[in-house]
Amino acid sequence: MMTLITGGSKSGKSRYAEKIPDTFTGKKIYIATMRPYGDEAADAIIRHRKMRSGKGFETVEQYTDIHRISLPADCSILLECMGNLCANEMFTDGAVCDPTEKIITGVIHLKKIASELIIVTNETGSDGISYESGTQKYISVLGEINRQLAAIADNVIECVYGIPVALKGEVLC
Amino acid sequence: MKMIVGGAFQGKTRIAEKIFSLRADDIINGAVCSIEECYSAVCIKNYHELIRRIMNNNIDPVEFTQKLCSENPEAVIIMDEIGCGIIPIEKNERIYRELTGRSGCIIAENSDLVIRVCCGIMTVIKGEINEDKIYSSRKNIGES
Repeated sequence: MMTLITGGSKSGKSRYAEKIPDTFTGKKIYIATMRPYGDEAADAIIRHRKMRSGKGFETVEQYTDIHRISLPADCSILLECMGNLCANEMFTDGAVCDPTEKIITGVIHLKKIASELIIVTNETGSDGISYESGTQKYISVLGEINRQLAAIADNVIECVYGIPVALKGEVLC
Repeated sequence: MKMIVGGAFQGKTRIAEKIFSLRADDIINGAVCSIEECYSAVCIKNYHELIRRIMNNNIDPVEFTQKLCSENPEAVIIMDEIGCGIIPIEKNERIYRELTGRSGCIIAENSDLVIRVCCGIMTVIKGEINEDKIYSSRKNIGES
C-alpha cells in the first residue's frame, strides 16, 4: 500500500503521516531527506524528531539517491519530504538537473521493499507568484513528480490545516 | 467552532453568510478589528491577516488562538490557506507562514465543522452541516 500526503507548508502533513504507521506491527523506518543546513533546518529537524519520539521509528538520513537504500523486507517506510529530496537532487552540484525519473525509480524500489510506503510531499504551485527560472523549474519538476507519485499511489491525501482530505483512495486514520 | 478555509477570493465570506445566516455586522475583519472584539465576535474573517497584525505586535498567535478557542468556542473563523507555495526568502514571512499554519491547525482541531471553498463551491472537510450547527451562532446572539 502506498500513500501520498500533500498539502501546503505547515498544513499538518507530518503529524498526520506519522499517525498512519501506528497501526503497523512491523519495523518502522523514517527516511529523512532534509539536509541540516542552517538554524531553521536544525529547528525543524528537532521539532520533527520530538514529534516522532516514542513512536518506534528508526531514522535513516538519505538526502539523495533513495534507490540505493537497502532495508528489511515488509517494513513500513515514511519518507519525508519529497520537496527536500527533489531540491537536493536538482541543485546540489551547481548545475540544475531534472531528477524526475531517478526519483520515481527510487520510489518504485522502496514500494517493492515496503509493506506500507508513506510519502510526504509539498504543494508549491498555488501561490500565484512567478519566480526566477531555477525556482520555476523546481515547481514544475515537483509538480510532475507529484503527478507520477499520485498515479502509482493507492491513496492520495491532502492536508488542510491538519484535516486529511482524500483525493484518491481513502483517508486511513 | 466553525471554520471556513480556502484560497483568497474564492467566496468564503459569502458561503459563511449563507450557511450561518450571518448579517454583515456579525462579521468582524481580522485586518482591522481589535483583539478584544475577537473574544465575542460571531464571525472573524481574514483571520490570517489578524495573525500577521498580532505577530507584528509581538503577541504569539498560537497562544492567542488557543485562548480564542476557549473564550469564543462558537465563533465562525474564516481564513485563507496561505502555505501552498515556495518557502519565502524573507525570514519574517517564513515565521508568518509557520504561525498561520499552526494557528489554523488549532482552529480546525477545535471546530466541529470545517468547510473549504474553491471557486465559490464548498466542500465539507470535517463534520457535517446540520440545523443545530448552522444556527448555534445566531442563537448565541439571541441569548446575549
